[in-house]
Amino acid sequence: MKREPFFWVSISCGIVIMAFILLPLIQLLTSPSVGMLRESIGDRDVVRSIWLSIYTAGLAALISFVFGTPLAYLLARYDFRGKRLVEGIIDLPIAIPHPVVGIAILSVAGKNHFFGQILAELGVRIMGSVTGIVTVLTFVGIPFYLNAAKAGFEAVSPRLERVSRSLGASMFGTFVRITFPLAWRSMLIGIIMCSARAISEFGAVVIVAYHPMIAPVLIYERFEAYGLKYSQPVAVWLVSISLILFLLLRILTLHKVEEQ
Amino acid sequence: MRAAILFRWTWCAMVAIILILTQGQAFAEVSGKIVIFNAGSLTIPLAQMEKEFEANYPQVDVLREAAGSQKCARKISDLKKPCDIMASADYKVIDKLLIPNYADWNIRFATNQLVLCYTDKSKYAGEVNAKNWYEILARKGVIWGHSEPNLDPCGYRALMVLQLAEKYYKIPGLYARLVANRPKENIRPKSVELVSLLQTGNMDYAWEYLSVAVQHGLKYILLPDQINLGNYRFDEFYSQAVVKVTGKKPGTFMDMKGGSVTYGITMIKDAPNREAAIAFLKYMLDPQGGLKILKNQGQPPFVPCRVPTGAMKSSLPEPLKDLVEVKD
Amino acid sequence: MIAIRGLTIDLRDFHLRDINLEIAENEFFILMGPTGAGKTVLLEAIVGLIPIKNGAISIDGRDITALPPEKRGISIVYQDYALFPHLTVLDNITYGLHFHKIDKRKAQGRLAKLLEVLNLSHLQHRLPTNLSGGEKQRVSVARALMVEPKVLLLDEPLSALDPGFREEVRGSLKKLHQTSSITFLMVTHDFSEALSLAGRAAVMNNGRIEQVGEIEDIFKRPNSAFVADFVGMKNLFHAEFKGTKALVSDLEIELGVTPPNSHGYIAIRPEDIVISRRRFSSSMRNAFSAVVTAVIDQGFYYEVRAQSGEVGFASLITKSSLIELKLRETSDVFVSFKATAVHFF
Repeated sequence: MKREPFFWVSISCGIVIMAFILLPLIQLLTSPSVGMLRESIGDRDVVRSIWLSIYTAGLAALISFVFGTPLAYLLARYDFRGKRLVEGIIDLPIAIPHPVVGIAILSVAGKNHFFGQILAELGVRIMGSVTGIVTVLTFVGIPFYLNAAKAGFEAVSPRLERVSRSLGASMFGTFVRITFPLAWRSMLIGIIMCSARAISEFGAVVIVAYHPMIAPVLIYERFEAYGLKYSQPVAVWLVSISLILFLLLRILTLHKVEEQ
Repeated sequence: MRAAILFRWTWCAMVAIILILTQGQAFAEVSGKIVIFNAGSLTIPLAQMEKEFEANYPQVDVLREAAGSQKCARKISDLKKPCDIMASADYKVIDKLLIPNYADWNIRFATNQLVLCYTDKSKYAGEVNAKNWYEILARKGVIWGHSEPNLDPCGYRALMVLQLAEKYYKIPGLYARLVANRPKENIRPKSVELVSLLQTGNMDYAWEYLSVAVQHGLKYILLPDQINLGNYRFDEFYSQAVVKVTGKKPGTFMDMKGGSVTYGITMIKDAPNREAAIAFLKYMLDPQGGLKILKNQGQPPFVPCRVPTGAMKSSLPEPLKDLVEVKD
Repeated sequence: MIAIRGLTIDLRDFHLRDINLEIAENEFFILMGPTGAGKTVLLEAIVGLIPIKNGAISIDGRDITALPPEKRGISIVYQDYALFPHLTVLDNITYGLHFHKIDKRKAQGRLAKLLEVLNLSHLQHRLPTNLSGGEKQRVSVARALMVEPKVLLLDEPLSALDPGFREEVRGSLKKLHQTSSITFLMVTHDFSEALSLAGRAAVMNNGRIEQVGEIEDIFKRPNSAFVADFVGMKNLFHAEFKGTKALVSDLEIELGVTPPNSHGYIAIRPEDIVISRRRFSSSMRNAFSAVVTAVIDQGFYYEVRAQSGEVGFASLITKSSLIELKLRETSDVFVSFKATAVHFF
């Protein structure tokens, strides 16, 4: 069967894009020697920073999930005046330059701001702390979770929820028995997207917290201080571990699909 | 009559020659980019110098990159980033990390002293003074910090001040106690970052140069000359303080010994734009040029600037020799 | 059983204007109207899924206007079945039992009965995706009845089904209604469906109720041009009334009774109009000569349009009659109908 030109153009574009993504990645993954990789993972600072990156990103995703799910559900089901504005505000963190995010959060968290004074009284510290890091990561990651979850809820027909209500279920009961089982896949994708965004964040975190060091800050510090040779191995470990984690999550979803 | 005419003509000729000579200097064929790696504390004075210099040399574009002085040196030696001039808050960094491979000479051009900065929002701001500062810094809940000793001289200098304070006030164990109350999270790579942390209220006290405190309008405590690293007369007392920092290669270390704060400047050996760099240095090290700006901004310059040996003076580029005296 | 007073709803896309309706216990009540009339809105308002601007709803004497849906005891069956796709047929049907405390044995009994009546026993463990339209609809009905509601609302349950299935489900619904005390309220836009199922009905248009009453009444005595058109009275004419006659253009139509108003509408069902070649000598008081303008194949019947002067009539005849009368366009015919067949308003 002869394929028309549009088909070939599409294939070519696809190849270009794959090459665009893969070339730098392959270069990164193959640059460090096995020795350097082993030395890197043996360095306690490296392991600590990668672990810090993973669990702060995880916390950010968890917070996004807990607080973002009700809002996503609201936006999916209800129309109200100013809804477009709310949706625009939710997308704002994506557009703000990352150092600006860090500066803004620091300004609110310091004692020169009324909110910062409240935090100081409560003994909550943002600058140079894990709390601060998680705050920043949640700020940049929550739009990704919200949008994915909202799309997932929109895909569940409101009629199903209405029937459930008529049969005696409360709003919460309906959410647990009907909406969640049908939308959980989108929510999981949202969590993955949020985590991915959080784990790679640098510009905003480095302003709020240089120490404790997340992996991207460590990589940058090593690059600035000692050059490529000492920073690439850490980057390789971070990328590899993230890849494995995300792949695992994706496989888990596939598994469930096959079960059904 | 004839004498008067002759006098007038000579006078005009002299004026004309002087004009031509000075004009010649202003419109030299200096052009292109000048890349300067400078210590963070020089940012504001250098910004003003850049303005003045570029007004006289419109073909030139001065590009400044501020960082801790050791970091600047590493950018040159390890990362091989192209650079014309390196201005360090500690001349010793140039001596130890750049000479002899990347630089030949080192001109010491200004001093500074360390002060303890704070704002009116800082904890115990109403209480703190030159007598109780070390006791306040030891209090739980006080957030104070300095820059990274491995990247920035202001960092190891802050630690030196604390070591000297232990000796000066005769309080054994003071240094260890103070460092224990300063967790890693309160360290920043560049000392100037600490200023914005003070201003937003995220930090209570920070160690900075006097010039930086003045330039940013911060409150500060002046310390006794014996410990503030600002008076060369106390160099011997200062030398009691020693801080270990990372060395030339990763995994190596070197000892930085206490000494009065002396800023150094050099031109890198394979500077991409030697001509323009020399022109800039000639302006900067001129008592009516860059040095005047330093003085106005709270940073006492050496007038004239110094090099330690006659040999070093003779290795300087010609136009700079007149601006420098030999003094150790 | 159901009493609706002054119900007004004002949403972005839907509006209901001052709805008043009373439905007795165990009635099979039909709600009719064109698309967009507000029938589904009214149903969902009764279930409690739509915010009300004004008015009150009571079930069995109890005002439920402020109650949330889960506390009303009203089940709804949607046109697209709305089965829970992630649950089996059995789990779908027994879903409501999670929220209603019913004796286990009673529940088992009811379940068995529903499965039998609706012929679903063999489908219990299937997922909704593997069912036919009719099977889905029956599961939907079983699920709604499992919680023993006081009222069952059905939103166009038969429209999405093939004609073959429609008969089946219609029959099941009738049987279920007769063997229980549940009040049925069903929405449809198909009048013939209403005729076969219901006792009383209401016709809605543009958010208002146009006419309420026994189905026969609405069928034979529509009270407005809209309702007349809706129930399929094709011959709808504007008329002046003089004594017992209605004057339509140049035709004088005998009504047999005197209408109370001086002008209005008359309507005649197409089945009541007889087409013949020669003037009928019969008890039909109205007979006019006309010319056939169209013969339209309607499947089992033919619609014959004949023009008498300015007035066009539509009549229905069988294929055999068509052949017998040798009717085609431009044929000369007589159009006859009884005076009692003429409905005026």
